[in-house]
Amino acid sequence: MSGKKLFLGLLAAVLLVAVPPFLGLGWQNALTNVLIAALFATAFNLLMGQGGMLSFGHAAYYGIGAFAVLHLMRAVEGGLPFPTALLPLAGGLAGLVAGLGAGYFATLRTGVYFALVTLALAELPHALAPHWEGVFGGESGLSSMRMPSMGLDFGSSLQVYYVALGWTVVCVALLYAYTRTPFGRLTLALRDNEQRVRFMGFDAHAAKTLVFGVSAMMTGIAGGLLALSSETANYNIFSSHVSAQVVLHVFVGGSGLFFGPVIGATVLTLFSFLASEMTRAWLLYQGIIFTLIMLYAPTGIAGVVQAHIAARHRLPWGRLAGPYAVAAIGGLLAAAGTVFVVQMAEHVFSQTYRAAAAQGRWGDVALFGLTWAPHNPATWLAPLAVFALGIVILRRVRAPIARLWHGGEDEADTAASQPAHGAA
Amino acid sequence: MEFLITSLLNGAIYGMLLFMVSAGLTLIFGMMGVLNFAHASFYMLGAYFAYTLSGLFNFWVGLLVAPLLVGAVGMLIERYMLRRVHRHGHAHELLLTFGIALICEELVKLFYGDFPVNYQMPAGLNFSAFTVFGAQYPFYRLFIGMVALVMFAALLLVLTRTRIGIVVRGAERLPKMAEALGHNVPMIFMGVFGAGAALAGLGGAVAGAFFPTNPNMAIDLGVIVFVVVVVGGLGSLAGSLVASLLIGVFTSFAIGLDWSIARLLAPLGLGDWAQSVGGPLSMTLSSVSGAVPFMLMLIILLVRPAGLMGAKN
Repeated sequence: MSGKKLFLGLLAAVLLVAVPPFLGLGWQNALTNVLIAALFATAFNLLMGQGGMLSFGHAAYYGIGAFAVLHLMRAVEGGLPFPTALLPLAGGLAGLVAGLGAGYFATLRTGVYFALVTLALAELPHALAPHWEGVFGGESGLSSMRMPSMGLDFGSSLQVYYVALGWTVVCVALLYAYTRTPFGRLTLALRDNEQRVRFMGFDAHAAKTLVFGVSAMMTGIAGGLLALSSETANYNIFSSHVSAQVVLHVFVGGSGLFFGPVIGATVLTLFSFLASEMTRAWLLYQGIIFTLIMLYAPTGIAGVVQAHIAARHRLPWGRLAGPYAVAAIGGLLAAAGTVFVVQMAEHVFSQTYRAAAAQGRWGDVALFGLTWAPHNPATWLAPLAVFALGIVILRRVRAPIARLWHGGEDEADTAASQPAHGAA
Repeated sequence: MEFLITSLLNGAIYGMLLFMVSAGLTLIFGMMGVLNFAHASFYMLGAYFAYTLSGLFNFWVGLLVAPLLVGAVGMLIERYMLRRVHRHGHAHELLLTFGIALICEELVKLFYGDFPVNYQMPAGLNFSAFTVFGAQYPFYRLFIGMVALVMFAALLLVLTRTRIGIVVRGAERLPKMAEALGHNVPMIFMGVFGAGAALAGLGGAVAGAFFPTNPNMAIDLGVIVFVVVVVGGLGSLAGSLVASLLIGVFTSFAIGLDWSIARLLAPLGLGDWAQSVGGPLSMTLSSVSGAVPFMLMLIILLVRPAGLMGAKN
């Protein structure tokens, strides 16, 4: 098992190093963003998945890290000798300091109150940054240039990719090592039974503050990488959308497993890269995917995969294949119906179409290579019927799949994972 | 004097608006322990539904029907989504409502566009109530405050003086006992969630006609509403009223004050130095008024972690 894991890890490393030079500029940038998002999500999950503290304000430490690195970059531009590849260190340091300070307050409360405090703490820099010229560059933000150092010019996005790769791999490895230390175990104990931690003589508040600080430090490094790759940042980096994205990444991937957030960050970042070019409604699809996963596969993608791997010797794969294929068809039908209706709505409710319709021109809509008449009820009823058929199939196939999975396994976990297959 | 009275008036009205939205949240949170991230989305849906209905019929139809529609949406969400994830715990419920909030925002953008819509009060309500120091004071602001006051009174009466209130409070304290007495507790929860959503929807339908109705209104208000709940205290209706008014008045005063640390230091002869340091020392209170609620929340957390009127937790 361990040998297999090592092999998979090496394979991934070789692919990550060897493939990007053959990709286009857009893909190189997208992969850099994947790496940054993966580090951000893993750092967030140290707090959420291991410490049991749900933060809704991690954009604060991400942004602080980005601005710290930009300031250092400007100093380097001014002549300070500092290797460009090590710039994210400044982000980590700033994130640590901010995280210890904010964590002291936030960890005074637990549960949903903790989430609210982190949310409010993140609003502070968001409100202050546009008015604070010296530190955050006011409304327009700060920009800088990557300077050549150590024989590299850092002009190409491929070099930035490799810097991001190096930092992400090192930081994720450090975070993984953290889980193996006694303090990593204590972090898990804080999540599972804080009272017992206190009875054992530990200062739970100090420990939680420290976990918060470490998470913020790694988040700051991710923010620093973002600043390094985009060479600019403004107060929008503190907005709640940034905090929301990392929550989505972590829970779509699965917060219960160490590498779950990496999977979620990769899937959703690539999804945004591909879908945002095709449709304005990609954020809607992202929200739907997140909600479906919360409803039907609460352990996330990694959790569902893990459940299948754990039960691989026990499951009657031959008999499962049929129902799984039917479920996939049902999911595809439901997804196709949804996508069609959303895309039609996007066209029909767009400003240009409505302006034309107001003058009585209900033109046909070109979509998926065909033209559709929006005033024809069939245009709307047919996809709705497809959607309904998909849902009926999914509901029907649930019971047989649950029966095949039965045998000591948690029924909810298995039956629940099905509808998400089609949607994801 | 003029500044004092106008700020107090505007702050109180804004506070009442905050209360309208947070009352439902407090109700749901107190009853079910669910921190509903989609609550501000219900407020936004109320405004958009009312906008559509007021275009089809008239303003008053929108004002009355939009909250009912939002309440129905809330009941469906409770019945078919929240109840499913209940066994996974409160954090999971919170994440689910967070996802619903994202979907609401994007759906509104899909159907209404990414810009404010022209939702307006009827001409009959568009007059000035009185003049303060030569400035006309719009009647509609008072109307918002009055709706909120009626809402607070009605909620208080229903919860403390009626049979429904007894059953609801019983289901909150001892759900098993209420169930044993023959009350349908899941049904009560669904009703409370729907009622809370409808209250937020009413807030949106009333306020949307005065303030801009746009897809960002949920996010803008959402965070502040949570601050109200934290400052007011765990599920306390009166607490959220006090907290709403405090935040409303503080924000309103902050907008009008050009105080800065540099000005405070000026009598000590340090004003020029502080001005030259810049940053937070020279920032005026008015420019950072958006941060005032959050600072208030941090102070409350330090001084009285349970909130103003919350029981010790």
